[in-house]
Amino acid sequence: MIKFSRFCLDNGLRILVHEDISTPLVAMSILYDVGSRDENREATGLAHLFEHLMFGGTPGIPEYDKHLQLAGGENNAFTTSDITNYYITLPKENIETGFWLESDRMNGIDFSRKNLEIQKNVVIEEFKQRYLNQPYGDAMLLLRPLAYKVHPYHWPTIGSDIDHIKNAGLKNIKDFFFSHYAPNNAILSLTGNITPWHALRLTKKWFENIEKRKISPRQLPAEPEQTKERIRTVKRDVPADALYKAWHIGPRNSDDFFTMDLISDLLAGGESGRLETKLMREKKIFSEIDAYITSEIDPGLLIINGKLMKGIDLNTADELINKLIAELMEKYPSPYEMEKVKNKYESAHVIRNSDILYKAMNLSYYELLGNPDLINTEVERYLKTDKVMVLETVRRYLVQTNCSTLFYKSSRDEK
Amino acid sequence: MTRKLLLKPTVSPVDPGKIPEAVCVRLNNNIPVFLIEAGLEDLSRIEFTFGAGNAYEYLPLLASTTNFMLTEGTRNHTSSEINNALDFYGTLSHQYAENDRAGIVICVLNKHLDKILELAREILFFPVFPASELKTLIRKRLRKYLISREKVHNLALDKFYESIFGSHHPYGRQTLPDDFGKMIPLLLKDFHSGHYTPQNMAIIVSGKITEKLLKLLNNCFGEISPDDTYNEESCNVLESQKTKKVHIEKPGALQTAIRIGSPTIDKRHPDYPGLKVLNVLLGGYFGSRLMKNIREEKGLTYGIHSTVFSFNLSGYKVISTEVSKKSTQLAIDEIYKEIRLLQSVPVKKEEMEVVRNYMLGDMVRMFDGPFALAESFRLAWEFGLDNSYYYRLADKIKSIKADEIIALAQTYYNIDDLYEITAG
Repeated sequence: MIKFSRFCLDNGLRILVHEDISTPLVAMSILYDVGSRDENREATGLAHLFEHLMFGGTPGIPEYDKHLQLAGGENNAFTTSDITNYYITLPKENIETGFWLESDRMNGIDFSRKNLEIQKNVVIEEFKQRYLNQPYGDAMLLLRPLAYKVHPYHWPTIGSDIDHIKNAGLKNIKDFFFSHYAPNNAILSLTGNITPWHALRLTKKWFENIEKRKISPRQLPAEPEQTKERIRTVKRDVPADALYKAWHIGPRNSDDFFTMDLISDLLAGGESGRLETKLMREKKIFSEIDAYITSEIDPGLLIINGKLMKGIDLNTADELINKLIAELMEKYPSPYEMEKVKNKYESAHVIRNSDILYKAMNLSYYELLGNPDLINTEVERYLKTDKVMVLETVRRYLVQTNCSTLFYKSSRDEK
Repeated sequence: MTRKLLLKPTVSPVDPGKIPEAVCVRLNNNIPVFLIEAGLEDLSRIEFTFGAGNAYEYLPLLASTTNFMLTEGTRNHTSSEINNALDFYGTLSHQYAENDRAGIVICVLNKHLDKILELAREILFFPVFPASELKTLIRKRLRKYLISREKVHNLALDKFYESIFGSHHPYGRQTLPDDFGKMIPLLLKDFHSGHYTPQNMAIIVSGKITEKLLKLLNNCFGEISPDDTYNEESCNVLESQKTKKVHIEKPGALQTAIRIGSPTIDKRHPDYPGLKVLNVLLGGYFGSRLMKNIREEKGLTYGIHSTVFSFNLSGYKVISTEVSKKSTQLAIDEIYKEIRLLQSVPVKKEEMEVVRNYMLGDMVRMFDGPFALAESFRLAWEFGLDNSYYYRLADKIKSIKADEIIALAQTYYNIDDLYEITAG
């Protein structure tokens, strides 16, 4: 049981604190309720580019990292479709340095052209390193637009086009900051060797005098129900064919979400998942295969992807995956299998929560979802899932008309 | 921005303080068990580690294939039973074959300890290496290997190891597609019986140590009798190659991977802690010279890092980055420029202070919680070192002087000694 306290300042900043005196460290997570879903279709990748700019200094503190390192800290950040999350760990004696730095850059950053140009280059190299210069690196750039026609999950966090990054101007950046970075759009969590009282005192001292900003309510177009199977085939210079399949699933707060997460584990959890056992070990169709849900707040995707063994036809592989899903529609999973995937959630929950940083990020995230108690209770939603829910959820979502398939073919003729 | 000005918080000196000691006990047959009590949760991280890494193999892939096959069938259990059981009891497990050591790490809730230890005994001491599972594994690995050959960073790194350690020693030898077909059950059985033995084994447990743990360990592992197996020294020659500059052409690549470095002293050497500090200054943290120059000032790369690492028979250092093809020479020139600066211009006090505090803070993180503690313990223990190594490192971080940095940079970063490998 993870005990925590929750506070809210007058300017709308929410604070969650979990005290754990077994560690000499304090972890601080600050989540901004902004992600790539908040971008304009013509200017994607901005939320992530902005994450980089947040490390470029402020008028008062030109070098963010230097001061954190002087205090013995470590930090980083990540951007998803839904959120931008900055995080720090510091020895407990020096945690106030974290408050000083984070409140300073929430107040305002240095909007210099030079900083923008350099970070644009860094992000362009990141785009190349992770997406364009990797075999299969562009698969998500292809699969997302196939699955989403209207909703901004259409593009990945890095952006849909490298030119959008190149074209980002100083004005877009300023507007982005003042419409998303604000105390009333942020959640601060502290975990580790700090008392709730001390955390609240420091939060007030450093954040209280940042004024509320006007945040426009989010109005995203809902993705219309998919009614027809979508297929795209591409050829790339890669050593093996690969297959990507995506189905729309329920939103983050629905029962269907948890059931679908559990289904992804039935399919590909650990070494004993069904895809692994049947299509890798028994039939030797794939050299790698995985199934996972995208865990987004608006309705996300269940994705199955695999790389094919030499000499296996993509259509055969696709049929075998469909057959395996059909089995889940016709037959309940065994009690042993259900218990296995549930046990896995239970222990993963305990193991992950032995890390203070993980706990801090989770508290912020569950607060964003509207209920920080989920850090303790969410595991129950998995445990209450039964075989009937599994069958019904598979039948409802994992149907062909709701599926997008990407055939990623090797252009080499080695087969 | 009408915010009232607040004074910058004062910063206290950072210190890893007292590092928790591992308690060593021995099982009935003398297998050492290291116990590290840590954490609040009722779980254990158990590592079984053997001197069975790549250094002991006479064919590429032998050590790693033997290790990965441990969970693919034993005298009493099929592969599917083993993998189902590991998943059923909610374990997070990880098999590894590094250059020197190989083993398995299992994280498990304490309520399932007895079941998992029994299974671990089967996996570690009674695997049968079934031919059909081996064939599947090898086909899978070959496929992954072929994909990995498409990535410029792998091409550059493998060539780098080959250059600094030579093509005859497992540290440097490259794996070729043909090597996969040579793995047969008999070879694996032989490698297993020679290296996965009680006298070649240690157990490291961290987490909430339960009372029954030792009894369970003794039941499972304490009665396995040490046999008179050989424990051969490797006959392979470790020798750097003559050519220091190699380029691997990869048509169509958008970026070039760069690896610059050479063999160096290992963790047991008295200069090693100082070299660690020098490395952090150069490229070991976000504010390093290389990151500042090549990423933050020039925007040439997403990341550039410098590492100093130890294997049992040799240490090495390497600077790694990926840059646009057209910026390759500029990046290389700037790397050498930064090294020369460290060899000639004293580091300013302020920068030294940042590095000292960053590294001391990092040491606090190295000993926080059962997972970090166990990893840090092994990284000293396998070199015959203990916490006194970490205390020496902390002392050096606190006390190192600017002229010592210059001397270390001149001794250990002689530019003529460095290998320069590029792929792209």
